[in-house]
Amino acid sequence: MVEMKPFKIISKVNGSTVELGVNPGRRLIDILREDLGLTGTKEGCGEGECGACTVLINGRPVNACLVLAPEMNGKEIITIEGLTPEDELHPIQEAFLEAGAVQCGFCTPGMILTAKALLDKNSDPDEKAVKTAISGNLCRCTGYVKIVAAIRLAAAKLAAREGSI
Amino acid sequence: MTGWRDGGLDPGNSVIGQSCPRVDGVSKVKGKTLFAADLNINGALYCRVLRSQVPNAILRSVDCSEALKVPGVVAVYTAADIPGENRVGIIVKDEPVLVEDRIRRAGDALALVVGRTEEALEEAVRKIQIDYQSQPGVFSVMEAMGEGAPAVHGENNIQSATSIVRGDADAAVSGARVVVTRRYTTQMAEHAYLEPEAGLAAVEDGVIKVWVSTQNPHYDRREISRMLGVGRHRVRVTQAPTGGGFGGKLDISVQCLLALAAFKTGRPVKMVYRREESFVASPKRHPYIIDYTSACDAEGRLLAVKIKIIGDTGAYASYGPATLKRAAVHAAGPYAVPNALIESYCVYTNNPTAGAMRGFGVPQMAFAHEAQMDLLAEALGIDPFTIRLRNCLKPGDITVTGQCLSHSVGIKETIEKARDRAMELGMLGKPAKNYGVGVGCMWYGIGNTGAPNPAGAFLDLLEDGTVVVLTGCADIGQGSDMVLAQIAAEELGVNIENVYVLSGDTGVSPDAGATSASRQTYVSGNAVYSAARQVKEILAREAREILGSGDANLDFRSGFVWRGGKKTEVTVKEIISGCGKKGILTLGSGCFNPPATGLNAEGQGMPYATYSYATQVAEVKVDTETGKVAVIRLVAAHDVGRAINPQSVEGQIEGGCLMGMGYALLEEVNLSGGVIENPRLAEYLLPMSLDAPEIHPVIVEEPESTGPFGAKGVGEPALIPTAAAIANAISKALGIRFCSLPVTPEKILAALEKRDGYLIQSAESTQQRR
Repeated sequence: MVEMKPFKIISKVNGSTVELGVNPGRRLIDILREDLGLTGTKEGCGEGECGACTVLINGRPVNACLVLAPEMNGKEIITIEGLTPEDELHPIQEAFLEAGAVQCGFCTPGMILTAKALLDKNSDPDEKAVKTAISGNLCRCTGYVKIVAAIRLAAAKLAAREGSI
Repeated sequence: MTGWRDGGLDPGNSVIGQSCPRVDGVSKVKGKTLFAADLNINGALYCRVLRSQVPNAILRSVDCSEALKVPGVVAVYTAADIPGENRVGIIVKDEPVLVEDRIRRAGDALALVVGRTEEALEEAVRKIQIDYQSQPGVFSVMEAMGEGAPAVHGENNIQSATSIVRGDADAAVSGARVVVTRRYTTQMAEHAYLEPEAGLAAVEDGVIKVWVSTQNPHYDRREISRMLGVGRHRVRVTQAPTGGGFGGKLDISVQCLLALAAFKTGRPVKMVYRREESFVASPKRHPYIIDYTSACDAEGRLLAVKIKIIGDTGAYASYGPATLKRAAVHAAGPYAVPNALIESYCVYTNNPTAGAMRGFGVPQMAFAHEAQMDLLAEALGIDPFTIRLRNCLKPGDITVTGQCLSHSVGIKETIEKARDRAMELGMLGKPAKNYGVGVGCMWYGIGNTGAPNPAGAFLDLLEDGTVVVLTGCADIGQGSDMVLAQIAAEELGVNIENVYVLSGDTGVSPDAGATSASRQTYVSGNAVYSAARQVKEILAREAREILGSGDANLDFRSGFVWRGGKKTEVTVKEIISGCGKKGILTLGSGCFNPPATGLNAEGQGMPYATYSYATQVAEVKVDTETGKVAVIRLVAAHDVGRAINPQSVEGQIEGGCLMGMGYALLEEVNLSGGVIENPRLAEYLLPMSLDAPEIHPVIVEEPESTGPFGAKGVGEPALIPTAAAIANAISKALGIRFCSLPVTPEKILAALEKRDGYLIQSAESTQQRR
């Protein structure tokens, strides 16, 4: 990698403002994992094929391995660590546990963030909508069955929570 | 805290058969689980390997002088720097950690660069000067077995051979009503676990510590210790949470390289494969060529099989010899076959190494034997379920290796239950154009083939009703930690949350062998069970003294001692403190080795203590314009002995089915002169969510008396019959038999084009007699 003049970035990562001077050739995934210690974002392929590094940028699921550092500037980024406060579980996370959607766990953070982006837009997705939403996230363990079930269960949990407020 | 599980001896209070949540689940959904690539030690150096681009060459020299001048590079190591033995291999020690003189495959490691930044490593790798002379290589098994073929190792490319002879197959074939002969070929496949290989190593107090993504930390320790020439006690391998393995993380990947770099530099070192390196360096599923003859009588009863299997194990043996031996043992399928002549060959070539991959050489065989069953059924006009029910193994039957199966033979029930479920779902009996339903059956021996494969476990019951289990068993995502916790909790009557399973650390846990061969629930499960039994016996001795009750049958539930099924007033806590006052600790150790024997020269013996069985039914629709196959539904009925955790068993079945679907239709490692042409996830096609069919798991429980609470195994069986069932469904849909995997759109379109020519050819090779 060619050394370039540090590029100043101000962005919001998991709710906190982050100011960094970074080499503009670096990838978002490396900044998250190496500079910010957010190792919940996984690297499975480095070319946007597997979705293990999915994070939310302004609410949209994005492969962090395909984003260069300057693109972070002015954006709001959510990683798996920022989905809920430290000792809480998000209803999607609860649903993944209850449905048995976790095996090796390497695709799980990216899968959960993709699910979050889907459920923010569509509160009651059918099976096809869920499968379409997660089509960029590979899982080699589960056959996707329990992941799809978990996301639909999460929708129900979120709806119940809305109803109770 | 109350460690003891509420409720008495009522079976409803059992944790066996409960879908307890995974012990590692919360960390995984929170993104807190630290996989090997997430670990770090301040000041750790990075490592990178220079790999051969050519498949066969004499390596004359490796000149590192320019690489060493790159700023940030700390060291460059070659074969000459290895202090101990430069050979690794799970069965045969035939693979160098770093090549000293002979390159045998593209991807062989030639030099190891250690430095401060990834950028420095990249530049240094480019500056290493390699002087080599390319040699003619062998890239197919036929070539490799031919007269005068260049030998990959030693004199002969046949690495090993297995033969099974039972009865008189030739005589039985000549007297048969129907004889079907076909050649089947299968492809090389990649595991494609989501987590690429990674590890970290450091030397602390004279001990070389390695944290690594692996399926067998104790094997890793043996290889590192031999390579460094140090005692095993000076090597500690800790399995990092492992992001999938499927057999691909049984071999040495980064372990020895990291240990060498840490040992030589004295500094912590880290290494993470990129996806392409993972493709190039890791073992693959063996491609097979299978010549298969089946013969049956007028009722479709199998009389004989004659089978020749050739597997391409590539440049190094890895698990190849065991894969081909297992293929021979399972070649006849889950059927009673009185006469068999089976030979299998494990053959070296200069292709990528093939080793263990989920199913261990049996999915290939299932593809062949299940096509044969359909061909026999078609010749006689019998239904596919009927011919399988007529031939399937039953208690009391003898296998082709001469093993009498006395119990836990659930194949018949899986066929019936899969058929019934398919019927309920409306999959059967609805003829439609280009639509087909296919059946696939399988059997799978649990544990290593005719070889000892013990597992040990330690267990410590503490006064507050909590339990620590130490086991070498590597949980690679399948959930063995949870299953072992359930077994300990059940036996000791404690809450599952109060069992801590510390697994896969050679510094503290006993060897449990490999997480392979679908063996850990059965083998390590038994080890934990027996450690728990030992602790229970210690408690019982003390309880009998307190209760003054001779040798009454005692149990421990809800924190109390139960005598003859009735609760007493004595608490388990009192018992443990009673033991403590006498200086007795409530510790147990367990060990289990499956009761099996080796095979003799005629392939006769009892290679496994027990077998799992399964039947899957696939429903497909073929688009004859594009050649694309849509798998609509899969029914998967699996005899697992006993489902310790049903949700987890379903998870294995569903994941196996989808991986099997990829194997049937999509996945293939393409080679050109031994070099992988598609070493990226963009080019190697994996099933995605949108490809996934409806999957209907059916759990069948034929208890295995030697298994923990009756359990056998399911990890590999989940995948084994899937490609067979799908290929049979495609054949039913189109009336064309496909004998080569994967069944790609290209193969389908080509076959449709020459459909008439194909049918003539097919009639020639099906000999109808009498």
